[in-house]
Amino acid sequence: MSENYSKVITIPEVATIVEIKDEIEDVKTFYLEFDNPEVEKSFKFRSGQFVMLTVFGAGESAISLPASPENDRFHLSIKCVGKVTNALHRLEAGDKVGLRGPFGNGFPFEELKGKNLIYVAGGIGLIPLRSSIVHALQHRDDFGRIIVLLGARTPADLIYQYNIEEWLKIDGFECYVTVDQATPEWKGETGYVHNLIEKANVPVDNSVAFVCGPPVMFNSVIDELMKRGLKDDVILSTLERHMKCGIGKCQHCAIGRTLVCTDGPVYSYRQIKTLGEQI
Amino acid sequence: MYLIEKDKVMTIADELAKDYELFGPVVEKGTGQVFFNRVANSGEINLRAEIPTLPPKATVFPQIETIMKYRYDKDTKDVLIDPVFSDRKKALFGLRPCDLEGMICLDRFFIGQEFVDEVYLEHRKRMFVVTNTCVAPFKQCFCVCTDSGPDAHEGFDLNLTEAEEYFIVDVGSEKGAALVDRLGLKKAGDEYRKIKKEIVDKSISLFEEIATDNKAWISRVMNRITTGFIKEEVWEYIGNQCFECGACSFVCPSCSCFNIEDHNKFDQSTDRLRSWDSCSFEGYSNMAGDHNPRKPVEDRRNKRFFCKLSYSQSKKYLRPGCVGCGRCQWVCPGDIGLPNVVTYIRKEITE
Repeated sequence: MSENYSKVITIPEVATIVEIKDEIEDVKTFYLEFDNPEVEKSFKFRSGQFVMLTVFGAGESAISLPASPENDRFHLSIKCVGKVTNALHRLEAGDKVGLRGPFGNGFPFEELKGKNLIYVAGGIGLIPLRSSIVHALQHRDDFGRIIVLLGARTPADLIYQYNIEEWLKIDGFECYVTVDQATPEWKGETGYVHNLIEKANVPVDNSVAFVCGPPVMFNSVIDELMKRGLKDDVILSTLERHMKCGIGKCQHCAIGRTLVCTDGPVYSYRQIKTLGEQI
Repeated sequence: MYLIEKDKVMTIADELAKDYELFGPVVEKGTGQVFFNRVANSGEINLRAEIPTLPPKATVFPQIETIMKYRYDKDTKDVLIDPVFSDRKKALFGLRPCDLEGMICLDRFFIGQEFVDEVYLEHRKRMFVVTNTCVAPFKQCFCVCTDSGPDAHEGFDLNLTEAEEYFIVDVGSEKGAALVDRLGLKKAGDEYRKIKKEIVDKSISLFEEIATDNKAWISRVMNRITTGFIKEEVWEYIGNQCFECGACSFVCPSCSCFNIEDHNKFDQSTDRLRSWDSCSFEGYSNMAGDHNPRKPVEDRRNKRFFCKLSYSQSKKYLRPGCVGCGRCQWVCPGDIGLPNVVTYIRKEITE
């Protein structure tokens, strides 16, 4: 790890936006390349980590990494919600941004070999999970069932639909989708994402669940998973906090006795329960 | 251990001023307030001044500082990034032991962890520290409870202790030894160990009863806070007195939360500023999209006391996060300076 940080970690590396793709409303995907070829070559990360993205003139934000660590184009999928992300959405292909990182612990993939992987995502909660899904599919033989349960407010809020179509061609990949508010054209499930857990007949033994989404969704999904018999140490989530540094100094992301930037952002539900703060 | 005549003690400061920017306790004319400021010459320094209003934290961790400048030309797509680091050499003369301990906390937090904060390191690594054994605690001091005074044990280059005719000079580093050598100070006899101990003991006897009384309680309160055995009502009572002014964090020698903002200028360049922040502010944990995981005021208050008095944070500081300077007690518009919080929790334990 040390060689990654031998450069000064408070100073971002410059990257170029090579392509911008509209995903769903308010969410765009930015394909990036580092200007320094050495950095471009040496930049490595693990699924579940994040970067600090500088939009010049606006500021810096913590952004999760949706690309697989290997054999995937490096990109960030970002919803415009605040000052930095709104400024980012105004940029065009060819514009420059700054990146620091990667930071955080990431998903413990070494420990997950041979297990069934259950991904439960609400809305853009699929973005941080995408990296891990693609990574798992690239090593399909290392895992059991790979199930994605996806919920969104409306059909128009379903992100990465083209990805999911691709993934469905892979043997043993299952995906179940639901929306809260159906449109007349919607033929699929209606309701909240935790209802899909039973429908998908989620395996309990030798399984690991990844949960990411808005706080309301989080609690109902955890309840349902626990009811089914999953233990709290095999339910993983990646948390979001306001961050300023990414290196454990500014303390903005403190939850309980941990810092999301260095001890997280991936926590097991067992850990989350001991933190004593809301999610 | 060395000795220097009282009227010559400032020659140490003068010698330092040749190589360093000199900082020391200064009594402000007119207001009588004490600040730990940069001085033009040693004559401005008053070694008998009261505890400075603000800790000398700003010498290593300024309230606002530029950590980076950049310029992005949207037409040519050129980016110029210019990191800003301090290369100043600072000598802190007449630092209080509690404030030194606070700085040691910051050292361990900023430099001694997995990630090194280079901005802090560049402020700190050229520094010369002369502490002054505290012989006049003020009413709200309680360093005796937190093992950070009234005399300094480590981390100084030189330590002064005012005795009858001399200042006793302890050497704490090679840099300090070299300076003592250069000034040709005379060695102190063994009897001065005893004299110093008497001076320290006398200083301890001056502490308010509440401070000496709380001594054993700090560790018990730490235990309680760490294990979470504190009733919600106590945190609520404490939280209800918080005005969210952030003063406690700003006067605390070991509080180090910061914010980072990009500040655009007319010449199209931007300064990335790092500034003090406080966990008592409502916006502190607010995320884009207006999701704030830490809403109630007692929740945020609790965070600061947790930071000062829990084992998990102490692991980073290798000591309690509180150094007992008493400034938070002094500035708090409510009544929840740290000694009072300890007292509240102590009451709960005993009841």
